[in-house]
Amino acid sequence: MVIDLKRNCKRNSKRQGTPGGMCLTIVAVMLGTLALFIGSVAMAQDAMAQAGASVATPLLKVDTGDTAWVLMSTALVLAMTMPGLALFYGGLVRSKNVLGTIMHSAIILCMVSLIWILFGYSLAFGPDKGGIIGGLEWIGLNGVGSEPHPTYGPTIPHQVFMLFQLMFAAITPALITGAFAERMRFSALLLFAALWSVVIYTPVAHWIWGGGWLGKMGALDFAGGAVVHISSGVSALICALVMGQRKGYGTEYMAPHNLPFTLLGTGLLWFGWFGFNAGSALGANGVAGSAFLATHTAAATAALAWMWMEWMHRGKPTVLGVASGAVAGLATVTPGAGFVGPFSAIVIGGFAGILCYFAVVWKGRMGYDDSLDVVGIHGVGGIFGILATGLFASKAINTAGADGLFFGNTAQFGIQAIMVAAVAIFSAVGTWIILRLVDAMVGLRVSPEDEATGLDLSQHNERAYS
Amino acid sequence: MPSHVSTMRKVLPVLVCMVTLTGATALYAQDAGAPAPAAPPAAASEATTAPAAPALPKIDTGDTAWLLVSTALVLAMTAPGLALFYGGMVRSKNSLGTIMQSFIILCLISIQWVLWGYSLAFGPDKGHIIGGLEWLGLNGVGLEPNADYGATVPHQAFMIFQMMFAVITPALITGAFAERMKFSSFLVFTLLWATFIYDPLAHWVWAVGGWVRNLGALDFAGGTVVHISSGISALACAIVLRQRLGYGREHMSPHNLPMTVLGASLLWFGWFGFNAGSAVASGALATSAFVVTNTATASAALAWMIAEWMYRGKPTVLGAASGAVAGLVAITPASGFVGPMSSIVIGLGAGVFCYLAVLWKSKFGYDDALDVVGIHGVGGIWGALATGLFASKAINAAGADGLFYGNPAQFGIQAMAVLISVVFAFTGTFIILKLVDGVMGLRVSEEEERMGLDLSQHDERAYS
Repeated sequence: MVIDLKRNCKRNSKRQGTPGGMCLTIVAVMLGTLALFIGSVAMAQDAMAQAGASVATPLLKVDTGDTAWVLMSTALVLAMTMPGLALFYGGLVRSKNVLGTIMHSAIILCMVSLIWILFGYSLAFGPDKGGIIGGLEWIGLNGVGSEPHPTYGPTIPHQVFMLFQLMFAAITPALITGAFAERMRFSALLLFAALWSVVIYTPVAHWIWGGGWLGKMGALDFAGGAVVHISSGVSALICALVMGQRKGYGTEYMAPHNLPFTLLGTGLLWFGWFGFNAGSALGANGVAGSAFLATHTAAATAALAWMWMEWMHRGKPTVLGVASGAVAGLATVTPGAGFVGPFSAIVIGGFAGILCYFAVVWKGRMGYDDSLDVVGIHGVGGIFGILATGLFASKAINTAGADGLFFGNTAQFGIQAIMVAAVAIFSAVGTWIILRLVDAMVGLRVSPEDEATGLDLSQHNERAYS
Repeated sequence: MPSHVSTMRKVLPVLVCMVTLTGATALYAQDAGAPAPAAPPAAASEATTAPAAPALPKIDTGDTAWLLVSTALVLAMTAPGLALFYGGMVRSKNSLGTIMQSFIILCLISIQWVLWGYSLAFGPDKGHIIGGLEWLGLNGVGLEPNADYGATVPHQAFMIFQMMFAVITPALITGAFAERMKFSSFLVFTLLWATFIYDPLAHWVWAVGGWVRNLGALDFAGGTVVHISSGISALACAIVLRQRLGYGREHMSPHNLPMTVLGASLLWFGWFGFNAGSAVASGALATSAFVVTNTATASAALAWMIAEWMYRGKPTVLGAASGAVAGLVAITPASGFVGPMSSIVIGLGAGVFCYLAVLWKSKFGYDDALDVVGIHGVGGIWGALATGLFASKAINAAGADGLFYGNPAQFGIQAMAVLISVVFAFTGTFIILKLVDGVMGLRVSEEEERMGLDLSQHDERAYS
């Protein structure tokens, strides 16, 4: 059957003039799906058996209010990827690439959704193996049922926690796509995202949240400053360096084709981020309220700070600047959201706006083409956020956390710095290897003609607007 | 001038309908209002039972919060979700007309549901066929939980959650007659369809005493009631209204695909309320429904993409969006009864079957403009049947086992429920359409169709 497919593919590719490599990729993707399918059937029974068997521990009770809040938060985080991020990025590119850009977020969401329930969740949160990675005990959600897990949300069904974390796993690689916008081959994107989410995301999530070595060390990352933002921001830098600049970068006009789209995306990101941060309390409780407040305050402050900087530095406050500032504030407050008070959040947000603004301005001097500023916003914001958590965290806000430097605990700042270094180095090296691998397998970039035509027509054979 | 007069004449029946509505509202408002101030008698009668039976349903705040937020999520599915999903797929001269259809259905059915729809669908059973008129104007539908419909949430919360389902179902049909239906006829059609098709069908399948429910048919969140009924009615509409002018010859590609993707994403987002909210409580069942909803959607979008990539050479964005919606449709009836691994298979089936259905549409010649039949009809039927295959009591003890779990009878029951919905929806819709056509005509004139619905029906432009 496989041989047949390959022959068909070759015939098709001849007829349509597409490179044969593309076809092989399709076959690879298909085979992967087939494997998934077989695996699923095999595991279905185990999962069922487990669901029936796990009714015996009556210690932890599901709270309807906590469950309602985390379910809602899960839906909110979905809305961050689709449509939030898809439109945020989609508005920033040229109109010939808008569908290609939206497709990146959409298809990553779909792929990671399946990877996560099949084995990703088990690798990230399954029983710890040497502080490095989760075991395979929870493959196919085996044993992940409706009973709460004692550490992963003791008042909500274990599957709710799994699902909430799924949305984090989905948005992280989607954030990276801004770095190689307008020039990546679609088949390469599929491979890259699948590999990245398994090889980079799941270990990092395990180190910090799944009982791994950084978590044991006492590293604080409430909602993903390191797991989500540093990992995606640093990987974005490597992507921009390896992929090279877009054709005509610096010489051609590459202004956003639809800024209202971008603003709509920003609004949905802000809206969804309440689920991201306040949902990370895993219950409808005081920490959730405090995280909600810190999130909102930092976003507002960062947007204002970015606007002021730009006004002073460039003469006019731009709408794109306000949108970028808000996202920078949201990314920065993420790791601290559950540990800092509202006034610390103002300081964090203020610095986020200023630092990320300069990171984006200075990008031009460095010469790499991080097309939609993932490095400047998520990388810089994430690093500053993790460090700021080591400064502003306070047990008065969250007794389960720790005090930061400003509350008399210098050691915490050191731990946070180690986390930054570990996650940044791991993401950078890992991403570089994955990119090289994918480049060798299918080629990363579209051809110069395809790039000139735009991703919409060259990769998807459709136009956004008619 | 004459054209104005004739338009006016056509608007008149609508106006009359509206006045009747208002009149009826005024009447029932008092009835509904009466029990509230005159609570003593009602409360007294309940108070006498309350101390006697301490197990009286008590409102759970978590369950209520989840159901309320789910209601808002399902609202977001109709407007803006569906409105933008369809609005982006039509030509720009019809985008407002298309958005208006979803938007005004939201308004129209909200009123219909409160006045008589809810009573017909969920009111006290009359001969297993229809609900009684006891709950007209929400008379007796108050803040006390109803043991049959959500024992831990106020009865009104259940009512308004169901309202959003009643709203989105006729809105789904509008994709079949997009770009060519007269606005006034559309209003009358919708009102009749909701009353004579949706309300009885919802009663049969979901209400206590409904005959399809009594057969043991499983439909967790509306595979038959919402998707088969709208998908098959869409087929009737496409046949009766015939093709758009220039169908097959002119270029009719979507005018704004990013808008369509925005709509599809909002549908996905809102569908968590649709499916997980149908547990009418927050907890294990809602969680399980949420997990399988997301999983089936992802797997259907990937399946459609791969099918299209192999068949057509390129994976399209419209394909991925359509695949996601197909997956959402197919998992709907099964969402409370199947496990995550089964949902992968249901999603794969949905992506492939619906892709083929959309592909083969052109061979049949009907102009289902935005593929309601291929996605909701076919996806709904596949989902209802798949429920009979994959349902498992290990997931939901209140459900049943399907064929793969040793109960072949369930598959037969599901097939029967499918057949009943298909026959009822098709004949009913056909009759309603012929009726409306006879009274006021269904289609806009040729000049109006060329001009576009935006200018001809609403006298405004979407973009300037």
